[in-house]
Amino acid sequence: MTNPELISFDSLLENGRSLLESQIIEAQTPEPGRLDLVIGPSDLPQAVQTLVDNHWGYLAAITGLDRPESSEVEALYHFCSGPAVLTLRVRVPYAEPALPTICGVIPSATLYEREFMEMFGVQVTGTPDPQRLFLPDDWPEGVYPLRKSFNPQEKVPQVKPKANGDNAGRYIVPIGPQHPALKEPGHFEFTVNGEIVTGASVRLGYVHRGIEKACEERTWTQAMYLLERVCGICSNSHAYAYVLGVEKLAQVEAPERAQAIRELVAGLERIHSHLLWLGVAAHEAGFDTLFMYSWRDRETVMDLLERLTGNRVNYSANLIGGVKFDVDDEQRRTILAGLDYLEERCRHYLDVVSTDAAFLQRTRGVGTMTREQAELLGVVGPTARASGVDRDIRVEAPYGSYRRFPVSIVIEHAGDLEAKFVVRVKEMLVSISTLRALLDNLPPGELVARVPRRIPAGETISRVEAPRGELFYFIKSSGGDKPERVKVRTPSICNFGSVIHTAVGHQFADMPMLLAGIDPCFSCNDRMIVVRKK
Amino acid sequence: MNAFLSAAALLFFPGGLSLLVSGLAYEWADRKLLARMQNRLGPRWFQPLADVVKLLSKEEIVPYGANRLIFNLLPVAALAGPLTAALYVPLFGLPPMYSFQGDLIVVIYLLSLLTICTGLAGANMASRFSVLGATRTLTQVFAYEAPFLLALLGPAIAAGSWEIRSIQAFAETRWLLLTQPLGFLVALIGLMGKLELPPFDAPEAETEIVAGALTEYSGRGLALFRLGKGVEMVVGLTLIAAFFLGGVGNLPGFLLKTLVLLLVLVTLQAVLTRFRIDQVVRGWRWGALLALLQILVMIIWG
Amino acid sequence: METRINSPWNRLMDQMKAWARINSPWAIHFNSGSCNGCDIEILATLTPRYDLERFGVKLQGSPRHSDVLICTGPVTRQARERLLRIYEQMPEPKFVVAVGSCGLSGGAFQGCYNVIGSIDEVIPVDAYIPGCPPRPEAIIDGVVKLLSSLKPGAAGAQPASNGKGMA
Repeated sequence: MTNPELISFDSLLENGRSLLESQIIEAQTPEPGRLDLVIGPSDLPQAVQTLVDNHWGYLAAITGLDRPESSEVEALYHFCSGPAVLTLRVRVPYAEPALPTICGVIPSATLYEREFMEMFGVQVTGTPDPQRLFLPDDWPEGVYPLRKSFNPQEKVPQVKPKANGDNAGRYIVPIGPQHPALKEPGHFEFTVNGEIVTGASVRLGYVHRGIEKACEERTWTQAMYLLERVCGICSNSHAYAYVLGVEKLAQVEAPERAQAIRELVAGLERIHSHLLWLGVAAHEAGFDTLFMYSWRDRETVMDLLERLTGNRVNYSANLIGGVKFDVDDEQRRTILAGLDYLEERCRHYLDVVSTDAAFLQRTRGVGTMTREQAELLGVVGPTARASGVDRDIRVEAPYGSYRRFPVSIVIEHAGDLEAKFVVRVKEMLVSISTLRALLDNLPPGELVARVPRRIPAGETISRVEAPRGELFYFIKSSGGDKPERVKVRTPSICNFGSVIHTAVGHQFADMPMLLAGIDPCFSCNDRMIVVRKK
Repeated sequence: MNAFLSAAALLFFPGGLSLLVSGLAYEWADRKLLARMQNRLGPRWFQPLADVVKLLSKEEIVPYGANRLIFNLLPVAALAGPLTAALYVPLFGLPPMYSFQGDLIVVIYLLSLLTICTGLAGANMASRFSVLGATRTLTQVFAYEAPFLLALLGPAIAAGSWEIRSIQAFAETRWLLLTQPLGFLVALIGLMGKLELPPFDAPEAETEIVAGALTEYSGRGLALFRLGKGVEMVVGLTLIAAFFLGGVGNLPGFLLKTLVLLLVLVTLQAVLTRFRIDQVVRGWRWGALLALLQILVMIIWG
Repeated sequence: METRINSPWNRLMDQMKAWARINSPWAIHFNSGSCNGCDIEILATLTPRYDLERFGVKLQGSPRHSDVLICTGPVTRQARERLLRIYEQMPEPKFVVAVGSCGLSGGAFQGCYNVIGSIDEVIPVDAYIPGCPPRPEAIIDGVVKLLSSLKPGAAGAQPASNGKGMA
């Protein structure tokens, strides 16, 4: 059976391969839809330049792999175009750990490069900002957590952090890590001149728990429970991406009914996440009434999820191989009734965010990002779709049951905060109608497929559309009962750069709103620093 | 005997203690109404009292870098302002305790003492949030004083007097709300600005600058500022009700009219998004202009 | 602790203070590295279905205005300093509530390299609310239990910090 998608991404990959023909040392196709090209470190910037010049996809993530058996560190640069993923693989020896930067071509790669540097101990020469991202200030030099030689059970000594004293003369207002605007810690520093922002920088790492490393010490199932807790708001998306990846490695496909139920939970999660965000963003703007009402309505979704899964948050619906529970007829009817109520409320909220004059004063024309900027900065999710970029994994590279129960993509073009609000509310409405179609046609069948305890060796990439945007997982197995490597690239890391870029020139009072506009999830992140000091 | 009665009036009723209590009562009404509009239950009736007592019993920390004397005096001054202003205002259906020609102007300035003290309190600190909050507070005060004053001038001109007692007597004959609607609107919104009530709470925007000018106050100082705000709200509402809603000559009338005004304030709080500080100031050019227009109309048409 | 003369006036004052503290617990929230699950359930307690304001709980922005620190998360190394600073800025008497499994013991993140573990390794804790995350009802229950324990004469009527700052 020829899958029309296979044809389309094959041609994409062929196209990519031909562009880089001269630099390829070795080419591999680890799984359908993926092409890995091994190239030399010195060829890296040129290869990336070629891809960018030919508009071949966008840089989705940079994964690091430690290869102690050959005393090398390998860097994987993943480029995605629709359903196709082209990876440039570069190896550097421990003895000479240096790679050239690609920030000259893709400025937003700075974040990925910084993370890579601190986790693996590889120098990326020429990178504009070599500062730490996630590791704390008191972390000693020379200790690289994601190298296999690092033992997390050993206590890492505290080191006196370097003071950076180049703040003289500027007035800096810190927001965070403990600040009413931020429900999660993350330290922003805005340089202000009166009420106008003239510079911005971010320091993350307050929520960095070392989850990627911890996964390497847990069994496949245990790792799933850990990954669910990367973020309490999009917990299901993380689990979903992970189990999809593991199932691909095990070459097991979850039964149709399980896939549909996964989509159901994912859809409900999207609704809960967007309503949560709506309330929090309204609270940032000082519109508490909207906060109260939207969270009251959100309780409906929480109730539905609780009935279905047993928990309001961290629903833990997924198993490797399927789902944990079924949807019986009565639950189906309850969910449908809940969706009816939510649809009516969402229509009301759409009205509010599009027409409430006082609210629009804080959102219309604020934080505008053009389509070109959005593509350059590499933003994903509703943040990108509000600027006219049609990026949605559920549509471009459908997974699970999204082929059978598709969603339509929601795009706005204004690129300002109002557009971001409108996109998210409309996405809720789209989710509701998709879920209705799904519930009316729930496929019969089993809930779980058997998956062995030891997952066959291999590497896989799994991409899902979390409420905030594209969630990218790279999973590697060496045939054992524990993962060899789990790499998590969350959507918010892509979107933070846009805040720093658009902040300059705005009123300080707009900062919480700008931040809220990208729906930041620091927990998902644990990482990110973009420094723009003026 | 007279001195004794005066002292009692100053300390207990209608001044002093009864003012503080009514300040707390109005704060409760404000929070309760807002909660109900937001579909919640809201606080219990004694909540503001519990808040004040708790604050009074908390440790007061004088932050490093703040002038100790100013730090301790400002809350006292902030409470003293509205309490003094209350002496000239017809509270609880009674005529003002004291009265003289020109007391309207004095009252308006006394009422601005609270906000100015708040601003100074913030400026006294070394904390960034406090200073930013102080700047915003003082900006907002400048933006609202003029329109508020002008709006209250309207009834004064109509009554031909600067004495609150006489203006009220005049206002009892007709509802100035009808003949000076612009003035009423400007006065009401001016009051919201002075009290930093949402949507004009940019100076203490929790999500932006933590708690504004009063970020570093705890314990006693905070309690006094809050009490001052409650009293100022009562006094401000009384003034507006007395001038525009046909006087507050009797107790039921006083209660009804001021509570109706409070309801209007709460409704505005509930349905509007916070204005950014520059929007606040920009919008208030209109306020001043409208108030001036109102006065012009008054003067021309007698 | 200083001894106080047990006069009727002092007893009355103590009772009034206790009453005020129980009925007006202003809270500040801090996330020391949690996944956010507990934090959103804490926020949910302010919303119409649960409405913490009816217990007098108001969420404050400034530590100086708060009596109760509601803390979540397994305390990452980076967050530790901030947590201490916030705790120190709060005036006496102050109480700490640790919400969620991570706050009690590190939860799912025990053994992770950047995580210290439980909140009580950094600051003294008065109440523990387990769950992953605990429901808003559980959070309210925990807060109410803490407040009830403050009634004069009840067991544990003193804050864990013993009124002297750090225990």
